Amino acid sequence: MKPAPTLSTAFLHPAGQSLPEPLLALRKQRGTALVDMPLPTRKTENWKYSSKYLKLTDDMAISLPAEGKTGSSLAVPGYKVAFLNGVMMPEACEYPDLDGISIQSFSDLSDEDASDLADRLDSTLDNKAVQMARLNSARFEDGLLIRLKPDAVLDQPLFIVHEVTAEASGSAFPRIFVDAGRHSQITLVEEYISSGSAPVMVNTVTEFNVAEGANITSIRLNMEGENVQHIGSTGVVQQRSSRFESHTVGFGGPLRRHDLQVRLEGEGAECKLNGVVVTQGKQHYDNHTTIEHVAAHCNSEETYRNIAADQSHAVFNGRIHIHQDAQKSNADMNNKNLLLSNGAEIDTKPELEIYADDVKCAHGATIGQLDETSLFYLVSRGIGRREANVLLTMAFINELVEQIPVEAVRETVQGRLNHFFEQTFQEA
Amino acid sequence: MLSIKNLHASVEGKEILKGINLEIKAGEVHAIMGPNGSGKSTLSQVLAGNEAFEVTEGEITLNGENLLELETEERAREGIFLAFQYPVEIPGVSNLQFLRTAVNAMRQHKGQDEMNAAEFMKLAKEISKQVDLDPSFLKRGVNEGFSGGEKKRNEILQALLLQPKLAILDETDSGLDIDALKVVSDGVNALRAEDRAILMVTHYQRLLNHIVPDYVHVLAGGKIIKSGGRELALELEERGYGWLGIKDEEPADSTAN
Repeated sequence: MKPAPTLSTAFLHPAGQSLPEPLLALRKQRGTALVDMPLPTRKTENWKYSSKYLKLTDDMAISLPAEGKTGSSLAVPGYKVAFLNGVMMPEACEYPDLDGISIQSFSDLSDEDASDLADRLDSTLDNKAVQMARLNSARFEDGLLIRLKPDAVLDQPLFIVHEVTAEASGSAFPRIFVDAGRHSQITLVEEYISSGSAPVMVNTVTEFNVAEGANITSIRLNMEGENVQHIGSTGVVQQRSSRFESHTVGFGGPLRRHDLQVRLEGEGAECKLNGVVVTQGKQHYDNHTTIEHVAAHCNSEETYRNIAADQSHAVFNGRIHIHQDAQKSNADMNNKNLLLSNGAEIDTKPELEIYADDVKCAHGATIGQLDETSLFYLVSRGIGRREANVLLTMAFINELVEQIPVEAVRETVQGRLNHFFEQTFQEA
Repeated sequence: MLSIKNLHASVEGKEILKGINLEIKAGEVHAIMGPNGSGKSTLSQVLAGNEAFEVTEGEITLNGENLLELETEERAREGIFLAFQYPVEIPGVSNLQFLRTAVNAMRQHKGQDEMNAAEFMKLAKEISKQVDLDPSFLKRGVNEGFSGGEKKRNEILQALLLQPKLAILDETDSGLDIDALKVVSDGVNALRAEDRAILMVTHYQRLLNHIVPDYVHVLAGGKIIKSGGRELALELEERGYGWLGIKDEEPADSTAN
């Protein structure tokens, strides 16, 4: 039998040494633990549908250089932090001194703060479930630490633009840690973009530590190019009466994987997770979500929609785990999928594990095609076939796009969707 | 205006229409009556271009143009409008967006400028009033959660907006109470014009009390077996379809509904 593939040692050598000592030490320790790390195969349950898209070659092991211009910087209404190949670019950042809120690059942290952070990195993630996040911990070159003091409120969305410049093969390891104090509020937009065409891997980890009563909105936009394999992990831990709302919008690529793990640890916490995925050509996208109802009286609501055209492949795996003490949990998970071609594939899998007896838990998953009767109704009013297809496809995700609370993001998303429609639906 | 000659059509290999001949001139109102399963709805769907129905023989022309060579959307742009028996619910597409897209597709076809959102809103609100539909229905998903009567009024609203040459009303009276029937009929009567024809397909004659047809045709077994004036409908109401040698499980009167 062929031995299971392991991560090439080429990936275990971080380049940048500019981090504070405690973080360098952490990284080294995580790297040591990765020796002989098995890579996911189709026998790895949580990579069953996606392992064939993961192609890590040794020339992708090198860190992409943290220099150059952030080319396609988007006009951002609000505050902005720019990262290039995983390293913060201070000259491209725009945000004022904010009362009770600190936004810092990992490299700028004092040893004391870095030591504190080193103790907490990875604490929100179940590393067994997100194997690939461990690679980020062994390789991150920089990162963004956002700390909100109790009651601090960020008055505008903070855009974090992560750009990779793929002039040559390599990889980047963007990292974000958000520490939201009691009753603080923030809206974060993570935007992943790329330039260049060499095959690269982007491996991201974003963590949210949400204290009592805090209110976080997290928007994640994945718009990287056809040469970028993206593996992202987001961990969220919520305390009493806190609220976490996430909006994920992703466009497919050679490999797109996002793991989102939410732990509801304090009573009365609630999370709302929305996701929209659009794939075309031979693209792939895989969303894996896990909601851990640890404490009683928590609510979770999850709505994901996938649209797959051409020969593309979308995957949704939604796990809800209601622990024994999590009485009066209320969990609602819904995943609907739209196939726009016979060659497209969608795999959807709800996983419910319920150990408490007094809970409400609903789930539903459907896979369908555009409805011929609706299409006939629209064209019978003189609406062109292409436009009718667009209206019906848009109808499938409209509700989720409209719920994104930042107008500039909705516009960006709509622009990308229009591009998708142009390529997918031709005039008859 | 509309000329149907020896029309045969099948669905899933089964022949439903077996040689229909019908001439409709501009300004006329025709009613097609017949028992369930006679092919009335098939005829409506074939005229609108539903691809689920296959035309195997015969021809249909609209003002001399071969309708069978046109796609559904092209027929609509040439002036064919079908008010559906069962209007489709489309959540996620607002009624307003749907209507404006349709009106602008027509305008574009005629070489007119598109209507902007504000202009269109004004027009749509006026016509909503005409069919007694609260303007709040414009903001909802297409027919989403509408009652049967509201759906039928929404169909008439579309006809009034799109100003077709030939309006085909497929069982537009079904499921309407007497007040809604009056509103819908007033809407249809407002459509009557010298340059427009109306084809009503109905099982019951009660609609014809409100929208008085010039001609009545009886469709049975996929053929028109009798044609006459208004009085034919009244006779059907009185005597049912039986006297024409047709088996029907329901009488053609209005009280049964």
